Amino acid sequence: MSPSALSPSALAFRAVGAIAQPLLRDVVTRVSRMVGLPCRALALDDEVRTASVVGRKQWDADRLLAELEMRAEALAVPPIGAPGTVLVGLAAEDMGNAIFTHFFGRARIGGGAVVVSVARLSPTFYGMPDDPDLTARRASLEVLHELAHVAGLRHCTLPNCLMRLAHNVEAIDLRGGAFCAECASRLPRHFLAG
Amino acid sequence: MTAAEPFRILVVDDETIVRESLGGWFREDGCKVDCVPSSREALRLVAENRYDLALLDVKMPGMDGLELQARLAEAAPDLTIIIMTAYASVDTAVRALKQGAYDYIVKPFDPDDLSHLVRRAQEHRSLRSENRRLRESLEAVATPESIVGTSPQMRRVQELIASVAPTDATVLVTGKSGTGKELVAKAIHAGSPRRLNALVTVHCGALAEGVLESELFGHEKGAFTGAAYHHKGKFEQADGGTIFLDEIGEVSPRVQVELLRVLEEKTVTRVGGKQPVPTDFRVVAATNRDLESMVKEGKFREDLWWRLNVVTILIPPLSDRPDDIEPLARHFLDRFARQMNLKDVSFSPEAIVALKAHPWPGNVRELQNAIERAVVLGKPPVIRMDDLPFSVTHGGAPRITGRKLEDVERGHIAAVLSETNWNITRAADVLGVDRGTLYNKIQRYKLERPASV
Repeated sequence: MSPSALSPSALAFRAVGAIAQPLLRDVVTRVSRMVGLPCRALALDDEVRTASVVGRKQWDADRLLAELEMRAEALAVPPIGAPGTVLVGLAAEDMGNAIFTHFFGRARIGGGAVVVSVARLSPTFYGMPDDPDLTARRASLEVLHELAHVAGLRHCTLPNCLMRLAHNVEAIDLRGGAFCAECASRLPRHFLAG
Repeated sequence: MTAAEPFRILVVDDETIVRESLGGWFREDGCKVDCVPSSREALRLVAENRYDLALLDVKMPGMDGLELQARLAEAAPDLTIIIMTAYASVDTAVRALKQGAYDYIVKPFDPDDLSHLVRRAQEHRSLRSENRRLRESLEAVATPESIVGTSPQMRRVQELIASVAPTDATVLVTGKSGTGKELVAKAIHAGSPRRLNALVTVHCGALAEGVLESELFGHEKGAFTGAAYHHKGKFEQADGGTIFLDEIGEVSPRVQVELLRVLEEKTVTRVGGKQPVPTDFRVVAATNRDLESMVKEGKFREDLWWRLNVVTILIPPLSDRPDDIEPLARHFLDRFARQMNLKDVSFSPEAIVALKAHPWPGNVRELQNAIERAVVLGKPPVIRMDDLPFSVTHGGAPRITGRKLEDVERGHIAAVLSETNWNITRAADVLGVDRGTLYNKIQRYKLERPASV
């Protein structure tokens, strides 16, 4: 774990944009089974400010992540929240920035938030029939991948490790749902369930 | 890329967001990244650090990316460069590629495309490095310059190698055992246009007649008991390259006939086969025997001897070229010290005298072994006389008796004469006097050559 890494103590999930509540609950349930941290979905009492990438119908992932990190600071302070609480934003729209055409997820090592866009994780993006179960599975694995970045992990070269870099959904599906032994050993002890 | 040495990337772009995005993205991937906003800073960093890959933006204030690319090509010719542009301009891309850029990529980047591009650049760089290492090791292993020796005899050998190597002429290398005939063969191959193809060595003396036939010409499946598969012979393996026939004087008369046929027709017929297979090879042969005498005695075919004896390179024994002993010893010392990671290793003056005085009946191979043994078992960094597997009093040299100066001089001259087998030229060289002076001293001290020497 790098010195600037954050050891998450709890996860708070919230929708950004038009995310179906069943999908959010499904992702929270799946992630809570995989991590040894308390997980809860936040009530939708306000809108997260988003901005589009100039000239593209996409949310700016960097600005969205910065906005969520700012909100996470409040969650980390008692009595509202607990230190080490990470805010997980599940975004409805596709994300990118001025440099990259798209991102599935964004996080910073030691940052208090992660954001995962479900747009490209859904089969409908590729003209296929909707499959909420598949979308939720992909989204929860992406959340876990980004959370591990927050905890200090970098990408892994092993093909089956969850920390392997994936730029398309096929790669997300192929890399599986578990960390390799080396990556698992670098995560904080209480991070993984069991 | 290894864990010990991360892939080093330099990103040059005047836009902060590009530097931050790419920097973070590559760091997540385990790369070591430096990001700078200008060409001037990029040139400064490249002068101070080693990078594997540079991503350069085309449009920057001051020196633009293409000009920077040209400057980097001079400052760091091994650097792989990828050009980034926000405008998919074909002209810019063509110019960049003509200047030697590895590729170009248009902003915004598809993460998949960028990832593939960088991975290909890594592979490209690793292949280039491997290629350079192989080329360097090939050149280092065997070139006319790698034949160490400053004596007139070895200079002549080096000149001959340099003259004959670029041709396709057959070369016969002769010399006593341990003089370095195989190294000469390697140097001939390395200096020839065939150097990128195989140098195939056959130690003819080590193989029984039947085995040698099969090794040289190959065999078909079922040609003899145990021939379960067809096997390409050394002549076929040397197609496009060089075949080195070591110890050619040991080849049996039957194989000599076959060899002659192959050399004349440039085709081989595998043992048990009927179809001649054409093959393009160059022959370098070597022997420590006197083939001309063997021809006179009827032990070696005259026609084969003429076929092999197009150019002959005779490597003189080390005892005939004492000037080469010290440079060779230093060459081997450097090599073994490098292998053992020792620094500033040298010989003591007494060790040099002892090395020069030894007759070296085993030639360069014996010298090489002696130095290796001294480096392994001795007490580097200074190799002393005691570290060598012989000493100047070895061989029953007379012991120095008496305390007078002339007794000491007499004893020392006698010892050196004994060590050099009474070779007056070498003894005079070791003693640092001319031959006339040494003769006078021998007469004055009434030194006599032993009957057995």
